[in-house]
Amino acid sequence: MTEGSDYDYLFKVVLIGDSGVGKSNLLSRFTRNQFNMDSKSTIGVEFATRSINVDGKLIKAQIWDTAGQERYRAITSAYYRGAVGALLVYDISKQATFANVTRWLKELRDHADSNIVIMLVGNKSDLKHLRAVPTEEATNFATQNELSFIETSALDASNVDSAFQTILTDIYRIVSSKTLDQSGDSVKAPTSDTIPVAIDSSAPAKNGCC
Amino acid sequence: MVIGDFELEIEPVVAAKARLPQGTMKSDAEEVVNDPFFRLLRSSHAPNPNLSSTLPENKTNVIARSGDTEKFLRETSIRHNRRLKFIDCLSKEDVDIAELRKLAWAGTPDDLRPIVWPVLLGYIPLPSNLRVPTLARKREEYLSLVQLAFARDRQSLDQQVWHQIEIDVPRTRPGVQLWMQETTQRSLERILYVWAIRHPASGYVQGINDLVTPFFQVFLSAYIDSDPELFDTSLLPQPILNAIEADCFWCLSRLLDGIQDNYISAQPGIHRSVKRMAELISRIDAPLYNHLESQNVEFMQFAFRWMNCLLMREISVQNTIRMWDTYLAEGADAFSQFHLYVCSAFLVKWSTKLRQMDFQAMGIIMFLQSPPTQDWGDHEIELLLSEAFVLCSIWHNAQSHLNAR
Repeated sequence: MTEGSDYDYLFKVVLIGDSGVGKSNLLSRFTRNQFNMDSKSTIGVEFATRSINVDGKLIKAQIWDTAGQERYRAITSAYYRGAVGALLVYDISKQATFANVTRWLKELRDHADSNIVIMLVGNKSDLKHLRAVPTEEATNFATQNELSFIETSALDASNVDSAFQTILTDIYRIVSSKTLDQSGDSVKAPTSDTIPVAIDSSAPAKNGCC
Repeated sequence: MVIGDFELEIEPVVAAKARLPQGTMKSDAEEVVNDPFFRLLRSSHAPNPNLSSTLPENKTNVIARSGDTEKFLRETSIRHNRRLKFIDCLSKEDVDIAELRKLAWAGTPDDLRPIVWPVLLGYIPLPSNLRVPTLARKREEYLSLVQLAFARDRQSLDQQVWHQIEIDVPRTRPGVQLWMQETTQRSLERILYVWAIRHPASGYVQGINDLVTPFFQVFLSAYIDSDPELFDTSLLPQPILNAIEADCFWCLSRLLDGIQDNYISAQPGIHRSVKRMAELISRIDAPLYNHLESQNVEFMQFAFRWMNCLLMREISVQNTIRMWDTYLAEGADAFSQFHLYVCSAFLVKWSTKLRQMDFQAMGIIMFLQSPPTQDWGDHEIELLLSEAFVLCSIWHNAQSHLNAR
């Protein structure tokens, strides 16, 4: 069995945001339906995949989970290339992680493709009594910066699937409309470089061994 | 090569664990904290109860039934002889470091490790008369570093460093009792923070927390009669906890001295090691190298973490401890040099499996992110180390061969 033949689209999505906001748990909740209260820190970049259905098409999401610490920025930013989506995660109970969202947006502008679809994710929504970032504040920020926005809890699983589903659907709509507009291979927008696994991201998959 | 270094004193440990889940102190802990060689020197003059032939009786019986008695007895006797050589070497007034390295390369007995590691790291001095005063001074020094660093309120700490340490300490070896305790976590916090502010070029980098854990468990084991991973550290008398903490700090410092490049800005040490590892693989396993290349798998995607955490995320702490016996015996630069040969041997180990994975770049990387080493014991680690040794002997001084490619 080959990766090339079991899905219609392959989208590379990166998970970014401050250390400890729950990026790895969002990933494990989405891909394995697992949550660890104290999961180990992510070193460099780690990744996992899951396929979902959008409009009858099978979309394979290849999600790159990055380390939040500043020191890893050099290695993690190398993996923004080829990404068609980014989940920018903060912790609703930690104001500083929301304040840093601006810096993460700049990171993306500097290193990722300009057409990347970005979703702002306020994680740990289960910590209601500790909320430090009002939903409204985040909604306003997202509107100003033209990002979609959702609050999630990797712990109680609320909105996690929905977050991934939404961003993957958004990407799919953009990609498939481009396919209609321009016919054929001009779809491979953000992936003209040599970053490996991303090469065919956003392009309709061909059979692996043609 | 020594196979399966399970020590003969395992039985009483198990018994103690059953009695008291949180663990018990060894009766001579107070003496050992002042002079780590106390137990060794005393027992080398008297017959060692751990080595009496009555202890492994149960094991002998079990194995006799499986028809493997001769092998077991041979291994037991090899272990016994090796142990005597260690004791002999360590009992000298001036430890012969070359001899100790030779012995430790093939694995250190569990109960001798708390003294062998610090000697190999140069933390405990070789002449016997310097040990006690040196240790006392270094532990005092660490204590004053801690007092200095935490003299004022929390607001006066380096906020960026402290913040990251605070996030990472509770998720160090999550789920393991020892590391979930308040006392252990506060110790780890102090070790990491004091190290970080004394090394501003790197500061604290995620993953360094992992590197403290083998030291802590090994040093703790000198004072207790049960499994360190289950031990309740709040039972430790303050002087013993202070000593463990200080010893961890100094030994961690020495280990990190050899791999500082891994943690400074842009992490050049890791990039260099990964690049050399890729060059080496292209020479020793060209089919695998070509396969990874054709699948668009980059070495950086899996080997970065192998270098950053010294394979601690891919193998167990028990495996790591056995591996460090050899690294420490190899010498100061083993954690940067020898390690890349170990990583190369580690990758080649999965060569057949990886080469069967076609059109699966993601599958390959995910496999290498969590390779199936759950069942690995000393034997597998020793095999890996000897494969690395062969690679290192052939290629280490042949850089022009590698560069020529």
